[in-house]
Amino acid sequence: MIAMIRLAVFGFIGMTIMYVLLSIYSRSTRREALEKKWDADQGPGDRDEFIAAGMAAYEKGLRKKLIWLVYVIPTLAVIAAIYLLNFA
Amino acid sequence: MRYVKWTFFTIIAVLLFSFFHYTLPQHDIVRIVGTENRRIDFGENSFFWASPDVGTSAATNRDVRFINAERPNGRIIVYRNEDTGWGWPPYFKLDSSNLQAEAQALISTEKANPVWVSVTHYGWRNEFFTIYPNAITVTQVEGPEVRIIPWFNILFFIALGIVLLMLWRMWAQFRERTIDPTLESIGDTIDEVDARADGLWARFKAWLATWKGKPRR
Repeated sequence: MIAMIRLAVFGFIGMTIMYVLLSIYSRSTRREALEKKWDADQGPGDRDEFIAAGMAAYEKGLRKKLIWLVYVIPTLAVIAAIYLLNFA
Repeated sequence: MRYVKWTFFTIIAVLLFSFFHYTLPQHDIVRIVGTENRRIDFGENSFFWASPDVGTSAATNRDVRFINAERPNGRIIVYRNEDTGWGWPPYFKLDSSNLQAEAQALISTEKANPVWVSVTHYGWRNEFFTIYPNAITVTQVEGPEVRIIPWFNILFFIALGIVLLMLWRMWAQFRERTIDPTLESIGDTIDEVDARADGLWARFKAWLATWKGKPRR
């Protein structure tokens, strides 16, 4: 039981690190895309406001929610491995 | 220097290859000829043994299940059959007792009428350290010529490649968006400080000059 808890704790730490890194990366690429779009079109409106609006939309969007898969996929993989290797 | 570099890279490559070769699953087509339990006192080879059955306690020695088998070419191979539990390598194997029963059900000692099985295993057999590959699953197969495609390993290396590519992209993005602008701004600051220092130095020299007395008569 101790070993299982240890795996869960270290797995959680690892997945959290990956989640944070991916969040930062995804936000950064989104901001860069918005900057490039505004620079190409020279509009609409003020550059900072355009980027702020785009980032606000990103914070509510699907792409940010998909990063939670970082927690879901490894957990499902472990459950699948336990089932397939022991009980299938 | 070139030799040092290449030696270093070679060592890294060999270590990586050994690590994956030891840890990733492989399939052997064999004929199981017997199973046994033996008490093992772990010594300097304890690194190459897995864990006691999940839920039982660890000690300096324990009984380990073994599966003896013969390859199609007549050479023998001995597998250990141990739980890996929740530890390393992550096979989450909890069913070594069941696997032992499956292996016993597939024992085939008649050479004329062999039963061939595919043993999925990881690890190495090495006589110098007395270490054995750990059997994960056994499945009956048609014959010794069955071709087994290592789907897991293919998917594993694709996934590993994607993760490494992703980490590299993250680093590139971080450098482009955060480190380079910071360095630029540090460079600008240094230039400014430098310019200001030039001004200060000039003023300091001018100030020193005011102390110069008139030449003595």
